[in-house]
Amino acid sequence: MTAGEFVSEVNAIASRWIKKTLRRPPFLFFSLVQPIVWFVLFTQAFSSISNIRTPIGGGRFLTFADITGTSSYLTFFSAAVIIQTVLASAMQSGVGFVTDMESGFLDKLKVAPIRRSSILLGKLMSDGARILLQTFVILVLAFILGVGIATGVLGLVLLFGIALAFGIAWSGISTFIALATKNSESTLMISLLTTFPLLFLSTAVMPKPLLPDWVQSVAGYNPISYIADGLHGLIITPGLDWSVVGLAFLIIAAVGFVTLSATTTMFRRAVSA
Amino acid sequence: MGDKIIEVRDLVKVYDPDVRAVDKISFDVNRGEIFGFLGPNGAGKTTTIKVLTTLIRKTSGTAIVDGMNADHEPAKIRQIIGYAAQEVGIDDDLTGRENLRLQCALYHVHKSEAETRIAELLKTIDLEDAADRRAGTYSGGMRKRLDLAMALVPRPKLLFLDEPTTGLDPQNRSAVWEYIRKLNKQGMTIFLTTQYMEEADRLADRLSIIDHGKIMAEGTPASLKASIGADVVTLSFKENGNPNPKAAAKDALGRLGRIREIQEVDGGIAIYAQDAPALVPQIVLALNDAHLEIAELTLTHPTLDDVFMKYTGRKMRAEEVTPKGRTPWGARRRRAM
Repeated sequence: MTAGEFVSEVNAIASRWIKKTLRRPPFLFFSLVQPIVWFVLFTQAFSSISNIRTPIGGGRFLTFADITGTSSYLTFFSAAVIIQTVLASAMQSGVGFVTDMESGFLDKLKVAPIRRSSILLGKLMSDGARILLQTFVILVLAFILGVGIATGVLGLVLLFGIALAFGIAWSGISTFIALATKNSESTLMISLLTTFPLLFLSTAVMPKPLLPDWVQSVAGYNPISYIADGLHGLIITPGLDWSVVGLAFLIIAAVGFVTLSATTTMFRRAVSA
Repeated sequence: MGDKIIEVRDLVKVYDPDVRAVDKISFDVNRGEIFGFLGPNGAGKTTTIKVLTTLIRKTSGTAIVDGMNADHEPAKIRQIIGYAAQEVGIDDDLTGRENLRLQCALYHVHKSEAETRIAELLKTIDLEDAADRRAGTYSGGMRKRLDLAMALVPRPKLLFLDEPTTGLDPQNRSAVWEYIRKLNKQGMTIFLTTQYMEEADRLADRLSIIDHGKIMAEGTPASLKASIGADVVTLSFKENGNPNPKAAAKDALGRLGRIREIQEVDGGIAIYAQDAPALVPQIVLALNDAHLEIAELTLTHPTLDDVFMKYTGRKMRAEEVTPKGRTPWGARRRRAM
């Protein structure tokens, strides 16, 4: 089997998933409608968050802008919309495998003379492409609402990079759950149960100093916080702070290593015998 | 390479925890023939196919496909086989044509050749008009035909068809039979499983009857039927004052030669004899002489139903499966073993 054949197999499988995704109404809903709802509802309901002043003793206060670097909650919140959308999207990735197992399509792939790894790689690549597209849509929305990227073109590229890597790492979790449970309801339920706590117990929706103490300590262990910090850095703070962005990538790499190794093991078990 | 394309010896497949789906079966399939596995649901047909198509590993025994061992060279086996599963494995979100295109890519059919091959296949299965509609909108028969075309994309030497007509209406069923015969004429060896007697009888050159994971009988449909050894004449009698017409009839017919066995059955008697048509006049005369009046006389040649009953002691009932459309979102389908 040549390398060229491998590339065309992966490509064929990835294109299949992309076509499927684009043809399904839920995709449009989750990629377009939901981010709009988040942007409009949350930023309207919570717009006064940016007026909160934090006492620091001696009758002095820190403003929201002092803490976050922006006086607009909308700008701050756009990172949360990206994270929420990528999380929701990645958490559904595994469902595709379950439907393929149920419909018998996976068997069709298994009898074809292809490398078994193409099946998993093609799927992950399509997940990545979908996540890039969704991130793009959110950024366009954010731009229309007046949010800019403080770190310029390089920052924009890094932002896409974080979204992509984060999305693939998290796709690994749902694919693992899907392959382990072989059940789409369980996969979606676990996804719903984990997405919101992860998001709200992090620094994605609220800057750390404004979180209650216990949430602050939880947020310190929540990988989403570091990803949010990375995104906030790229969107809000002029001048690229590599330490914040690098930490985000490092955390993603660590999570990704664990989830993708587990997924690969599970996948091997699913396709052999 | 020998004239056997499949050689199976003492094949056993045990599913966890302790289900012996296939229990030490041995059989061969000759190159160029249509070989049938006939048996009810759960007999072990699909399990055998899955071992031969390298989808699952056997527990013990050997399975050789075109000279290659299913344990050691599964990747090579995949290059020469086509497989249409009992459950149609097509992508509902793609059109018929796109499904075939994907299959071409998976089988490394060169792009320049793929479109012609797809056009050919669509014509063969009469799906040209619906080719650019999503497969999710297809009827059960169309789905089954598209699935068959998918299996034909690689132009396989050996084609596995797991219950190719289950759930199809009679028209679609005979259309599929027609394709299968045509493919076989072009030199393709076909291994098919079925739970329909008629299908096995009409299509298979040779067949095995399988039940509870064991092969109960094997041969050509004609030789299997001949193994019953006789035609069957069943008779019932009119009331004419004879207190025991069955016994009287047995007595009267006992003097005729060439009858192998007379059995009392509900409502009358069954006479087993070779070449029964030639014997019917003598039966009628003998019964007339004995003053018995015939109410009903039927003459049947043995069918595969009789064969199945003889070897398994049970009547085979094909379970009708409703055509499968799109699975509702999130619904789980039971997989057949």
